[in-house]
Amino acid sequence: MEYLVWLEATGLSTWLRESVSLLAFPFVLVMHTVGMGFLAGANAAIDLRILGVAAGVPLRPMERFFPVMWIAFAVNAVSGVLLLIAYPAKALTNPLFYVKLLLIGLAIGTARLLRKRVFRDPGLDLGRVSKRGRVLAGVSLLLWTGVIMAGRFLAYTYTYLTAAEAVASK
Amino acid sequence: MEHALVVWLRHTALSGLVTGSPWVWPVLETLHFLGLSLLIGTIGAFDLRLLGMAKGLPPKPLSRLIPWGIAGFALNVVTGVLFFVGEPANYVNNIAFYCKMTFVALAGLNVLVFYLTVAKKVDALGPGDDAPYGAKLIAATSLLLWIGVMAAGRLLTFYHGHGLGQIIE
Repeated sequence: MEYLVWLEATGLSTWLRESVSLLAFPFVLVMHTVGMGFLAGANAAIDLRILGVAAGVPLRPMERFFPVMWIAFAVNAVSGVLLLIAYPAKALTNPLFYVKLLLIGLAIGTARLLRKRVFRDPGLDLGRVSKRGRVLAGVSLLLWTGVIMAGRFLAYTYTYLTAAEAVASK
Repeated sequence: MEHALVVWLRHTALSGLVTGSPWVWPVLETLHFLGLSLLIGTIGAFDLRLLGMAKGLPPKPLSRLIPWGIAGFALNVVTGVLFFVGEPANYVNNIAFYCKMTFVALAGLNVLVFYLTVAKKVDALGPGDDAPYGAKLIAATSLLLWIGVMAAGRLLTFYHGHGLGQIIE
């Protein structure tokens, strides 16, 4: 907890948390939301197509949307770290935060597997997706739903807003 | 000074339902974010194709993903109305809310312009074909407006009618 108290007292953390500038906390939050839209959105579009929606769309060119996902993921990793620096105790003392990280790890792993198993499959040009590929797409949709749900609930389930508050309560 | 609409809405049973349990609001927010992702994922993919990304995709079949985006939008209209009915005071004097609604209306107008102008030309495009200039302009406008909707939506919580508030996420 001492480390969190220190982090919270750094200039960056204080500025993010206390500045009335829209470029501080609000801007970081906006980036995190827009990034989420593109990250979960691109995943959903690819997953839905693999599951048979809009079957007339050739799947192979959809691989080009993977870079959109990686850019959005980078935006969200950076904005996520900044949100964490602003309120470190709020996230780190909430078990749900670790559930969210785990779900993100699994969802990113699933996206990488999808690219390897579905998009590197020579049968793809014949319009075939293996059963395994369809299962992965379904799992991917569920995982991103879980990530979004965990993220939303983080705002309502924390115990301590700040490390200073956590220390004071002990 | 209390807004008459706020007073009336706050006395409805539906408003009580939305704010009655601490879990209703986050569940509605989760659905609102899922709807947003479906909208951006399908309409955004279509816009990016028109702008030249993943050009190997023929736009006409790609547009069959769009009903999922419309379903996401419908989900967001329903959850959005529930937010408004639940906590009307957070919205009626909120500049970010009016910005968001303006962007949504402009995005709708942009769709209308698309169907009235370039839709037929876009439907005829095959894999690898470059979209007409007008279609690219409409696609870029669409992406910017939806990003604006997300940004204004996220900033809503910082205004609540009294300027920049200390509202934490």
